[in-house]
Amino acid sequence: MRAEIERELLAWMQDEPAHRDDARFERLALALFAFQFEANAAYGRFCAARGATPASVGSWREIPAVPAGAFKELPLRCFPAERCMHVFRTSGTALARRGELQLDTLELYEASLVPSFEAGVLPDLGPDERLPMLVLAASPAEAHDSSLSHMFGVMHARRGAPGSGFFLRDARLDVDALGHALAEAMQAPKLLLCGTAFAFVHWLEALEQRGLRLALPAGARLMETGGFKGRSRELPREQLHAWLHDRLGVPPARCVNQYGMTELASQFYDSVLRDRDARRRKLAPAWTRVRVVDPESGEDVPDGEVGAIRIVDLANTGSVLAIATADLARRSGDGFEVLGREAGAEARGCSIAADEMLAGA
Amino acid sequence: MQALGRVLERLRARDSAERRRLERELPETTGFSAATVREGLTLALTEFSAAALEALVERELGALGKGRLASGFDATAVVLGGGVPTPTLLALATPLLLGSPVLVRSSSHDPVTARVFASALAAEAPALAESLELVSFPSDDDAALGELLAAPCVVAFGSDETMAALGARLGPTQRFVRHGHRLSVAVLGRAAQSGPALGEAAAALARDVALWDQQGCLSPVALYVLGVERVPDALLTALVSAFEEAAQRWPRGRVSLQASARSVAERDTAELRAAAGADVRIRAGRDFTLVAEPNAEFRGSPLYRFLRVHPVASAEQLLEALATLGPHLAAVGVAGVGAELDALGPELAALGAARVCSLGTLQCPPLAWCHDQPGVLLPLARLTDIEE
Repeated sequence: MRAEIERELLAWMQDEPAHRDDARFERLALALFAFQFEANAAYGRFCAARGATPASVGSWREIPAVPAGAFKELPLRCFPAERCMHVFRTSGTALARRGELQLDTLELYEASLVPSFEAGVLPDLGPDERLPMLVLAASPAEAHDSSLSHMFGVMHARRGAPGSGFFLRDARLDVDALGHALAEAMQAPKLLLCGTAFAFVHWLEALEQRGLRLALPAGARLMETGGFKGRSRELPREQLHAWLHDRLGVPPARCVNQYGMTELASQFYDSVLRDRDARRRKLAPAWTRVRVVDPESGEDVPDGEVGAIRIVDLANTGSVLAIATADLARRSGDGFEVLGREAGAEARGCSIAADEMLAGA
Repeated sequence: MQALGRVLERLRARDSAERRRLERELPETTGFSAATVREGLTLALTEFSAAALEALVERELGALGKGRLASGFDATAVVLGGGVPTPTLLALATPLLLGSPVLVRSSSHDPVTARVFASALAAEAPALAESLELVSFPSDDDAALGELLAAPCVVAFGSDETMAALGARLGPTQRFVRHGHRLSVAVLGRAAQSGPALGEAAAALARDVALWDQQGCLSPVALYVLGVERVPDALLTALVSAFEEAAQRWPRGRVSLQASARSVAERDTAELRAAAGADVRIRAGRDFTLVAEPNAEFRGSPLYRFLRVHPVASAEQLLEALATLGPHLAAVGVAGVGAELDALGPELAALGAARVCSLGTLQCPPLAWCHDQPGVLLPLARLTDIEE
């Protein structure tokens, strides 16, 4: 059953990735749920305890979601352990548990990431066009269990022009090498700087210390992702984009934030480069659906209200397709806006949620 | 000292205007239920008396000896954090007691307590009240924060990240008294695992958890049941009953969407672990969640009355489990431990616990509790030895 689903998904991703086909999504989601219900006994029991079985679930909205954090606790896979050929892990310390997405194939994973990245970050590139791609993240060779590095590696091989490269080495940003590569890359009309938000902050601080202000070509674009997690000073996304504009000359309208997580095979990009005149929002690949829900009831919140993000990602064929996150968002037209932590700020006293303590240890 | 003692007495008196104002305004600003605020203040302020303040001064400053003088700094800046009101009172009273003028920035979650303290002080000692100034500015006003942090002594409450960020802005000659985030745990010894003692201990624990909705550093986030391989079902049942009663008496307050999402995620994850065969039992009721774990391994709690219950076969295993918490361990509340405590106390101290006390008293620490500092007043004082 899974093989058939994957064949159809691959065709969808490759042939008509922009086609948001609700009927096809519904059919594939229910088929995939039926498969995962049987193939992953723990998930099956979890669903059954909620009264959700393939016989009772009639819509993708009713598929029980597992918390993203559960990937730290148990192997949520639908294949025997010996078939696992790649593991992506969440970031973390030695003390904190790290979530794992175990995969028995990378084919669908990569088929999903490419069209989303191209639509969100490279919409103006021709089918075979390449551009200098400077990555402020570790290479896949250095961080083999990082899904982000893997994604950059795939895109680097597919779209990177000569001079492209990875500039986070041994957990340090090689500012000098990046500067040299950028000087070369700025000769091209189009270029891409991409990486983690905290690496960009480190770079901006270095530019500031050196008193440098650059003017990247009009065809330059930036893609940043992830939180700061104590690895650099925290700042709201708007401030980061304003700072990037100030130091690099790339306007916020050409800064794309990606929302993704290790536990998901698909990613979500800001709309700014493909829908320039509309409000910034995250757009979902056609084979995913995003709900914004009340976490207690699991019901959708009204449009414009804040709720927790739940995602159904058909590309998660070998794990669990429905994931619940503790991230907050509000719906925005055909997309959603992810809200910073300040939007859900808690009246925390001097106590500390232990996961935060362990993460910071 | 007398004036500050009278301020504390005003706040303790349940019919005083200041106390009524705290009870009236705090629920709205902090999100705690009115019953929680009432009970939390009553318990905490039990220990905050004029006599206790006098004893504290005698204990810390009187013991200095004839040739050593303690004095306050020219100014003390206090940066408050979170919504739990009681730390604010001592944070303001202690520098004033040493003669140091205080500049205080309240937390956005509790702008009330500092104002009420200031108004009580103005009523009792108008001249001293002029030494207390409340400042207010948005969290992103870097210049205003910089001015506040120019004080020679800075006292701050908040996360480890906040402490690091503030510390980085201070000069080498400035005094920095930091109160970072910490957590507490509870331990149930054999003598409190059955019969009436279990009921009493469960009620005491439920109150310690319910007050301030687990937001205070003295709120237990985990219970360790000593001498068992598996948490007994009967014990869980007793806890459920006590937590239900606590929820009736002191309903949980406002829970942010993010916190609610975290709680649901932790509960669902526990259910998934159980579905995968782990011996995990979940008991969720109105306003609380209990998760009986299969072993002693410390796990996260999303707070807001979410308690994990762990079996620990021996005291050694308990210490091993708590070692993970290291410097973040604030207090250990115990019940039914008996003579074992004699051996356990020093071991817990060695782990970094700043307080070991009876279950049910976690939320009412003595005024003189040192918070893992060299004292309550001394960290805020300049000391001078005058030699003959």
